[in-house]
Amino acid sequence: MRRRKLIVLPALVVLLFVAGCKKAPVQTTEVIAVAAAQLPSSPTDAAWDNVPEYLAKLIPQDLVEPRLAQASTPEVRVQAITNGTDVAFRLRWLDSEQNDTAKPGSFVDACAVQVPTKLMPNPPAPQMGEAGGGVQIVYWRADWQAWVNGREDNIKSIYPNAEVTHYPFQAQSLEKGSPEQKEMAKRYAPADAVGNRRQSPRQSPVESLLAEGPGTLASNPAVAVKGSGVRTQDGWAVMMVRPLPEGLAPKKRTSVAFAVWQGSNKEGGARKMRSGWAPLAVEEKKP
Amino acid sequence: MARVYNWQLGREMSYWYPESRPKKQFAAVFDTNKCIACQTCTLACKTTWTSGKGQEYMLFNNVETKPYGSYPLAYDVKLLNMIEAGKWSGKTYEGQTIFESAPAGERVMGWRPEQVDYSYPNTGEDDCSGQVDHGALMQLPHMNWFFYLARICNHCTYPACLASCPRGSIYKRPEDGIVLVDQGRCRGYQECVRGCPYKKVFFNPMTGTSEKCIACFPKIEQGLQPQCFVNCIGKIRMAGFLNTPDKARADNPLDYLVHIKKVALPLFPQYGLEPNVYYIPPVHVPASFNRQLFGPGADAAVETYKSARKDMDLAGLLCLFGCSESLMTRWKRTGDIVVGMDDSGTQLVRVPISEPVHVRTSFDPVQKLVRINCP
Ligand code: SF4
Ligand code: SF4
Repeated sequence: MRRRKLIVLPALVVLLFVAGCKKAPVQTTEVIAVAAAQLPSSPTDAAWDNVPEYLAKLIPQDLVEPRLAQASTPEVRVQAITNGTDVAFRLRWLDSEQNDTAKPGSFVDACAVQVPTKLMPNPPAPQMGEAGGGVQIVYWRADWQAWVNGREDNIKSIYPNAEVTHYPFQAQSLEKGSPEQKEMAKRYAPADAVGNRRQSPRQSPVESLLAEGPGTLASNPAVAVKGSGVRTQDGWAVMMVRPLPEGLAPKKRTSVAFAVWQGSNKEGGARKMRSGWAPLAVEEKKP
Repeated sequence: MARVYNWQLGREMSYWYPESRPKKQFAAVFDTNKCIACQTCTLACKTTWTSGKGQEYMLFNNVETKPYGSYPLAYDVKLLNMIEAGKWSGKTYEGQTIFESAPAGERVMGWRPEQVDYSYPNTGEDDCSGQVDHGALMQLPHMNWFFYLARICNHCTYPACLASCPRGSIYKRPEDGIVLVDQGRCRGYQECVRGCPYKKVFFNPMTGTSEKCIACFPKIEQGLQPQCFVNCIGKIRMAGFLNTPDKARADNPLDYLVHIKKVALPLFPQYGLEPNVYYIPPVHVPASFNRQLFGPGADAAVETYKSARKDMDLAGLLCLFGCSESLMTRWKRTGDIVVGMDDSGTQLVRVPISEPVHVRTSFDPVQKLVRINCP
């Protein structure tokens, strides 16, 4: 009996060691988009398991006010896979608290990937680019993910105890779902009325953006993006897909940078943790 | 930061952008002595602008009972503590504004209300400044006091909401000085909510952008006063345009009250925003409290207001409050009649200063009966 236990124990240690190895992908000094026939379907797709990982160190945004008084999220683990036309990034970071509701005084977890608009020998300023040196950004937000995942489009989904007796768009004279009813709802939703849908209901948890310096962020419909994020045991895993940066091919390099917002620390906009530029390369297609 | 002139402080101060005054500045005078806290203004605004999903808690207009009432909770005292406000030397403010006391890494000294701060909109409603002891009710003046403070966005000359936005999503209209959030540009960072000392910008959780009082600009553009003005039961409000003190005109109602009579004063001028809603201070409130809210001119304003009975011009102008839906940008008094006019001098309204008095005797000789009159 005693001898059997002794044998089982080393076997367990070996097994745990092997399992542990599988969880720690190779670390790289640049972000390498690994070539694959197809892109992963989600941030938890097994295709990510063997992709080398780049550890992006994060520091507070420090170019413009307002800033974070203290550093928060220290690093984000980055992987990339390309199918030759698009590139998928997976960002993983630790965050003990899930913050996926934006409401007065409450902020959401979010992350972003940024590349220069053009391949250039010297990349533009790493914090949102600069005039003449634009950057393209893919931005993911935890609350948008929650809306996409089916959060209901009403105030109770944010304040479960809320009780509202009447909204003007519920007037009896307005037929449910009619253009008149929608028009009435828009009257009291000014951002919606001008097409700035920053909240419920959303089709996508990500947004494609363009910037030429701080404060210039604008929507970028020219670059199609998609993505999804899931809550992991100790943080977030987010996949963001965009076209391969123009001109990027094997043996060429461009730059890539990352940002993370921690909702529990009331981070949003300029109050964020960000990386410097890292080189971004694509792997040669396997024969 | 740029150096700009703030006449309410009697000095230059630092601001995020250079001085650029609008062609005209939307402004208002509220007579606190006439407010009855009926909240008709609050509802007039609510039904007009904030009845949608996510706007449930928003009050672009609110009326709070001072000294304790506030919305959101303690919006005023929190910030007063943070900037250690209150140092005036005569008419010059010697303390720090919220721009001058901004800590490193911040655009202004501010704080962000939490959800709980919006949860008690009527805290302090009808609470007076102390206990009323048995038998004390009939004494005048009252040893305990309260008053109603109606508040909207001040469409400040140096808006902190505008200065706080790192995206420049807030703008001040050059034609009338109205401060607006560009709903197409806002990304919901809530920096304006944090920055505005009066807490008159609100984050909408259903649209994801911040929204604020728009001074009913579609009405202003038609020469009309905003909803909370024309629906005011107590007739405490007058909207118009205000010049800087050096360009004050006696025939402009707001200039007359603010610059010439100095009977209407800004709310918390020490924050440094040059707010454009002016208050006639309550006459029955301790002078020190009035001074904290309305600055060093409070004592004189109370005295001027108390003697309005003897001042036909002032009394006359106060009679124009709440008498027309139109913006009265000019006025004049002839004898017992006061006239509100538009820019071209066209009469909009004509009001007698004293109403005719009819005394009804307790015995009616025609009907031959005794009336049960109220005294
Ligand atoms: S009161 Fe507040 S919201 Fe209104 S203009 Fe001034 S700072 Fe902006
Ligand atoms: S409607 Fe006029 S009197 Fe009534 S609470 Fe508002 S400001 Fe005061």
